[in-house]
Amino acid sequence: MKIYPILILLLFAISTTAQKIVRYDLYVKDTLVNFTGKPKRAIAVNGQIPMPTLTFTEGDIAEIHVHNQLKEGTSLHWHGIFLPNQEDGVPFLTQMPIKPGETHVYKFPVIQNGTHWYHSHSGMQEQIGMYGSLIMKKKTDDPEFRKGIDDLPTIPVMLSEWTDYNPDNVHRMLHNASDWFAIKKGTTQSYTEAIKAGHFKTKVNNEWKRMMAMDVSDVYYDAFLINGKKENEFSQLFKAGDKVRLRISNGGASSYFWLTYAGGKITVVANDGNDVVPVEVDRLIIGVSETYDVVVTIPADDTAFEFLATPEDRTKSTSIYLGKGIKQLTSPLPKLDYFEGMKMMNGMMNMDGTMNEMGMGMSLQKMDMNAVMYPEITGSGSKEMKHTPEEPMKMVDGEKMDHSNHKTEASSTDIVTLNYSMLKSPTVTTLPKDAPVRELRFELTGNMNRYLWSMDNKVLSESDKILIKKGETLRIVLYNNSMMRHPMHLHGHDFRVLNGQGEYSPLKNVLDIMPMETDTIEFSANADGDWFFHCHILYHMMAGMNRVFSYENSAPNPLLPDKEWAYRQLQKESNMSHVMAENDFATNGNDGRAMVQNARWSFGTEWRLGYNNMHGYETETHIGRYIGKNQWFMPFIGFDWRYRKFGHDEVEKNVFGQKNTKDNRSVLSIGADYTLPWLVIAQAEVFTDGKFRMQLSREDIPISPRIRMAFMVNTDKEYMGGLKYILTKNSGISTHYDSDMGWGFGLTLNY
Amino acid sequence: MKSIKTLLVAVVALLSFTACDAKIKNAKTETVKIFGNCEMCKKTIEKAGNLKNIAEVDWSENTKMATLTYDAVKTNKEEILKRIALAGYDSNEFLAPNDAYAKLPECCQYERNNKKTAMVPAEKMNHEMHSNHNMTSSDVDLKENALNPVFEVYFGIKDALVKTDGATASAKAKTLVTAINGVKMESLPTDVHMVWMKVLKSLKDDAEHIAGSKDATHQRDYFGTLSKNVYALLKVSKEETPTYYQFCPMANNGKGANWLSKESAIKNPYYGSKMLSCGSTVETIK
Repeated sequence: MKIYPILILLLFAISTTAQKIVRYDLYVKDTLVNFTGKPKRAIAVNGQIPMPTLTFTEGDIAEIHVHNQLKEGTSLHWHGIFLPNQEDGVPFLTQMPIKPGETHVYKFPVIQNGTHWYHSHSGMQEQIGMYGSLIMKKKTDDPEFRKGIDDLPTIPVMLSEWTDYNPDNVHRMLHNASDWFAIKKGTTQSYTEAIKAGHFKTKVNNEWKRMMAMDVSDVYYDAFLINGKKENEFSQLFKAGDKVRLRISNGGASSYFWLTYAGGKITVVANDGNDVVPVEVDRLIIGVSETYDVVVTIPADDTAFEFLATPEDRTKSTSIYLGKGIKQLTSPLPKLDYFEGMKMMNGMMNMDGTMNEMGMGMSLQKMDMNAVMYPEITGSGSKEMKHTPEEPMKMVDGEKMDHSNHKTEASSTDIVTLNYSMLKSPTVTTLPKDAPVRELRFELTGNMNRYLWSMDNKVLSESDKILIKKGETLRIVLYNNSMMRHPMHLHGHDFRVLNGQGEYSPLKNVLDIMPMETDTIEFSANADGDWFFHCHILYHMMAGMNRVFSYENSAPNPLLPDKEWAYRQLQKESNMSHVMAENDFATNGNDGRAMVQNARWSFGTEWRLGYNNMHGYETETHIGRYIGKNQWFMPFIGFDWRYRKFGHDEVEKNVFGQKNTKDNRSVLSIGADYTLPWLVIAQAEVFTDGKFRMQLSREDIPISPRIRMAFMVNTDKEYMGGLKYILTKNSGISTHYDSDMGWGFGLTLNY
Repeated sequence: MKSIKTLLVAVVALLSFTACDAKIKNAKTETVKIFGNCEMCKKTIEKAGNLKNIAEVDWSENTKMATLTYDAVKTNKEEILKRIALAGYDSNEFLAPNDAYAKLPECCQYERNNKKTAMVPAEKMNHEMHSNHNMTSSDVDLKENALNPVFEVYFGIKDALVKTDGATASAKAKTLVTAINGVKMESLPTDVHMVWMKVLKSLKDDAEHIAGSKDATHQRDYFGTLSKNVYALLKVSKEETPTYYQFCPMANNGKGANWLSKESAIKNPYYGSKMLSCGSTVETIK
């Protein structure tokens, strides 16, 4: 009888030491959303977008049951989490896709704390709703528990964006260099706009260097969202002086966000789930898939202070209001000055398409070259400022007042923007000293014209897994030689960013690297299995900007019996073929083309079909392969067919004196395309009947935001010139003159 | 012929009909308070609030009340008031951003009765301000050296160029010429004296050129050599506070140029705000 209480005591002791299993059930289902007035397909989990916030405490065991109620496969990746490889959630790399109707259980011990997030790693599902916050709390008895930070009220903030277009279609349009997104954003940067801005020379120079209009982001979005809404209010009863911690994750598929606050400074306290020594800034940019924890103060009673997230292209914004009462706004970020950016780019771009950083040793976001485009920094465009240059600003807000007394101008030079060199870990983060160090270098490469993104000029489908050994230290030097910034993410590991903080270098799992920057990261290879390393811009990832780190002699993954086959599937997924087609239904005939392309290959056919035998019918088919980093050179083999009946058997001569009736011809050819400066495509082609032809052409010369000019001239003495007015994403009206068919006027449809 | 005429009439009729119809549909009217002062405020408020065929604002200077007429299907009161707030005018729903309010002409800077006073811990701000002061102002620790007035004005010119403020730079350069003339050579230690003799002519030259122009671009051409000479001087004369010798590889048409600063943070005087953080510290002179 005496043993009974002891037993109870024992049981109690066991239950307190045993790890707590925290279970979530997630039901993944198709849904309709309406952000623009039109209902569109999205994916909701447990009926909501974003997916529910999952909360664990360090030491728990996470058990997440995923019920796939979609008509397609899915997966969930736990971003920034240390877990066994088979729980990582990358289809064809760590598991098979979760089939429709199936339930999959992810289970892993929670061995870290911090703000993280989770998302689908299947296709484009992340763009249409599959992202959510994943919060891992510190234990209250954690020696690293920070009083005044870790005990503050917290709000999870999930940033994302929405497009009404099907993301697969968005991806296809990007590859086809469609400038519809630029038209929607008002960033065509056409010749007439250039002339108006006094930047005609800049534009010519830019195209001379074979660059298309530059932008800081690629996709036009209909809405930007915080926690699934354009506007949020957190009207808990905040008093003046209260502090709140925002756990911010950027779940956008391709948008970086500027974060600013109407209530004053922002204190950054953690990044990518790792504590940093608090640093006070006026603003920061959060890269795609990064997380930041910030603390803000509610400075006054009865007021809701706007916390504003503005996408890098500044087309729209999304905000949350902290506090209850009248809404204190913060100024929106002014529109970008694109031509200044273009001018800067021209200076940095060599004729051969490589970037020249001019020995500046750029790294760690310290020098944002885009700053030339920010009117709030350059002071351009703020004409109103000049009204009262000498008067100190009259402001009631105490904080701002001090500043304005200090410097009478609205001192744009005083805006403190966070960069990576300001992040410092509160604890020593050095790696084991006796471990062998292996250095790997990656050059981030790409070209905008064909939307090809790669590492060392190779896409995933052209590269094998990179073998690493457990126990070694990997030091990775990244150099961004492309024109876009890339948020590079490593699965399953945190890496140290060598940012000048020595032993206290911060730990991250996403590194934003701007054009021309060189950054060094290092991590301990202390896991097992296959881990993805990729650009987290969804459309860059799907274009092939990925690698896999694979531990030598890994234990077999029971979820992936045939790893070689699975890897080929993964490679295939990020080098899909995309189709484009267009036809001009003109009064003098049909002009059109269709193409199927992937990263390297192009299969295209063009046609000119008259309405009668005299105008003739003509098609040219080319199968080519793009060569080199910039893909300016494309050798091809082709097939031409032509039929025409003038009635008087006229014989035409080309400039080389070769004769041709052009009447009935069906020949094979070999030739090559080469992109010349000013984006003119030179084509040389030899046909099986001994004929030779050279041609110069250019399409899509941006005359005005919606008017495009095209021309073609060749050694068969054929020529063409045309203008097109773009009406919608898929249509335009056009007029052209063709040496064979004469004047035409028509409607162009394109896919 | 007749049919064409009828068609024309029909088209004209249709056009005029749509023209009439171009007024605000689904109109809803509301009267709200918007803070402001004068006739100028009225213009700004209405311009910010109006949206063709969607919203119209009529603000009264006397009552400070505005009549909002808007298409209730396409917009709402909040959207209109938000636009007006972003232009600098408070209402009962929104407070204007501080910088937007500050940009208003003085006559328009109305009393912000709706704005609650901020409770910002004062000591903290002051502390920050002071540390800032120590960085920039140069009346500290520099009393003994005869060259101090020269260095002091140099940093003034540098700060002006950081802000691309040609007028101030020019005025400071004039002071520099006076300061250079005022240096008592005999009071300089020998090593400093030697350097001083070497750089004096060029130093004066550059100062005069900068003084003679109000164009910052032109002034920057001379600022490079000026900086080199001041650097040589600073290096021989022992200073108690550190000075940072900084370099921007892009300046001077890609040849690069140096400058001196009292702060380690880069504030580039060759490009000003356009490339404010371009450059790096190449030497710390102590």
